[in-house]
Amino acid sequence: MNINFLRHSRVCLAVSAILVASAIASLCLKGGPRYGIEFTGGVLLQAELDQAPDLARLREELATQAPGATAVAGSAASHHLLSVTAPATVEPGKLRASLEHALTNSGARFTVRSFEGLGPQIGAELRRQALVATAVASAGMLAYVALRFEFIYGAAAVIAVAHDAVVTLGALSISNQEVTLNVMAALLTLVGYSMNDTIVIFDRLRENRMLLKDWPVRELVALSISQTLRRTLLTSGLTLIAVLALLLFGGAVLRGFALTLTIGLVVGTYSSIFIASPIVIWRGRRG
Amino acid sequence: MRLKVVLVSLVAVVSIILIGSKPLRLGLDLRGGASFVLEARSDDGRPLPVAALRETRRVVERKINAYGVSEATVQPYGAAGDRLLVQIPGSVADLSRVRASLQRQGVLEWFAVMDGPFAGSDEPLRARGGVLGAGERLLTTGAGSSGAAWYIVQASPLIRGDELRNARAEPDAYGGWSTSFTLSTGAGARFARYTEANLGRRVAIVLDGAILSVGAIEDRIQSEGRIRGARSLAEAEDLAILLRAGAIPAAIHIVEEASLDASLGADSIRQGIVAGMAGVAAVVTVLLITYGRAGINATATLLLNGLLLLALLIACDAVLTLPGIAGLILTAGMAVDSNVLVFERIRELRIRQTDAAAVQSGFRRAWATILDTHVTTLISCAFLFWFGTVAVKGFAVTLGLGLVTNLFTAVFVSRLLFEWGLRRGRQVF
Repeated sequence: MNINFLRHSRVCLAVSAILVASAIASLCLKGGPRYGIEFTGGVLLQAELDQAPDLARLREELATQAPGATAVAGSAASHHLLSVTAPATVEPGKLRASLEHALTNSGARFTVRSFEGLGPQIGAELRRQALVATAVASAGMLAYVALRFEFIYGAAAVIAVAHDAVVTLGALSISNQEVTLNVMAALLTLVGYSMNDTIVIFDRLRENRMLLKDWPVRELVALSISQTLRRTLLTSGLTLIAVLALLLFGGAVLRGFALTLTIGLVVGTYSSIFIASPIVIWRGRRG
Repeated sequence: MRLKVVLVSLVAVVSIILIGSKPLRLGLDLRGGASFVLEARSDDGRPLPVAALRETRRVVERKINAYGVSEATVQPYGAAGDRLLVQIPGSVADLSRVRASLQRQGVLEWFAVMDGPFAGSDEPLRARGGVLGAGERLLTTGAGSSGAAWYIVQASPLIRGDELRNARAEPDAYGGWSTSFTLSTGAGARFARYTEANLGRRVAIVLDGAILSVGAIEDRIQSEGRIRGARSLAEAEDLAILLRAGAIPAAIHIVEEASLDASLGADSIRQGIVAGMAGVAAVVTVLLITYGRAGINATATLLLNGLLLLALLIACDAVLTLPGIAGLILTAGMAVDSNVLVFERIRELRIRQTDAAAVQSGFRRAWATILDTHVTTLISCAFLFWFGTVAVKGFAVTLGLGLVTNLFTAVFVSRLLFEWGLRRGRQVF
């Protein structure tokens, strides 16, 4: 296959700029990602009911028992579901008792399927720890790629990965999807995946550079992308199939995770070709 | 080549034996259960230093064990390791009781023993003619290794936990182990008067209403004393830890709590397996269509990789959580990618070379790429493991182990399969 992907690199950079800008705009307008309670503190109680809840009455009860609590009803194949979230004002255990009390008072017959609660301080701590871990891991990858190739390759790979993370977070923000612990795991997965994709192209580029010493960088990059294109399409396609299976059959718990991965896979494949590679050309032309 | 085949079969057999030996441990987010994060704060509201955590942890362990839940664990938690994570798998019958018990302060008291031991709770009453005397209490050791024993003690304590200054295990003169303790000056003076007047009488050390140890007074004890009779260093050490724990004036706060109904956990496992099988089936189909005979090789190495990884996770006693499954997915993606990288190289090279030569140089050239991608990801795994939260660690462990097994299956084993095929005069694809 011999398609010159780089002919439209300006267009692609413009597209990326728009994507990143709208991601950042959405994130700014909504005050950062919509974090799940794992990262903000608060409680989330999910209950199964034998009949549709009387939401109006429940909300009245909640207003007195646990101010600030919100209830959302849903339904599954054979039963009614209800999830109640509340800000962490008192210890999680006490808050749970209040929520259950409100549910009982509203006349609902229910069983608690899952409960999660933590204070705001711990949420902030988890968020910070996750960020630090991601930052340090990215620095480690940059160092290795810079060592194995050249600094600009490491920088290009990390910029591409950062681009993917920002665009994916933006997409989640626009679609009002919560960033939970599982979504965080999906983000880590896509970072690894995008990095892998970029390195495959860079590796081919390094090999070509040694074989075809007098070729200009631009042609070398174009050749390397073409040579690895079948592999890129196959691997991305296959991984996408696996992730789509997760999205379709994985159930509600895995939905946020699978959705993040689906977006991330597409963006990650795109960025290796259209972000990381042009950066190397741009730098090669100047140096 | 025969040696390599033997090696691969050996690895596969060992894996299967490991997988058969015990099941993979699943995290509470998959199997259901309850977890609590505890923070011990001193009376002025500040968190306790990490150094004092061991005592608190031991007290919490005793509380959890009192419920008879098997597999419940207590471990340090949080970035600074100054919190405790209590995990109770399965369905917990009475969460509010567990919660209340966890929050109750550890109370340590020493009582004068009036009578005992008795084998059952009704025997002491019979001995007293049906009613305990005024100022008497009935206490038990709880069901330990030697069975429950009951004692009648004086209701008002001789020593309270906050009057203990320190406790530690030491060897005694008879080659056994004992636990020495230090009392505050006031309590020491009181205890000296009491022990002098009551030589031969027994004293029960009680934590949270359960007797830890009963010993006879052999001497006048002022501020320094020793409790003899430990059967091992560990036993003497345990008593010392519990004595110190009783001396720490800490209140335990539950700062994080989660519970998941076991049936919901079972649901997500079932859905996860269905999704996983659908994904694998689709991927294998595409591989077989695209690569023909080589697709069979790829499928075999992918399955072997799954087998090895499962065995390794079991051998490491790892706990599989949802983020861990994310790591598995990336592992699978990279395993497929390694195969595709090699096959594409062979396809390219086969235009100008013989099959055998193309296989040789295909693996050689793809190796550099495979190594780079794997090392990069392994580096990121290492950092995520060091700096990450518990959830992120779960991701890093499955991914890291998966990449190592993949280097073995997708390169070493896959190459072996190709060479074996070539030797039998088969086409590569």
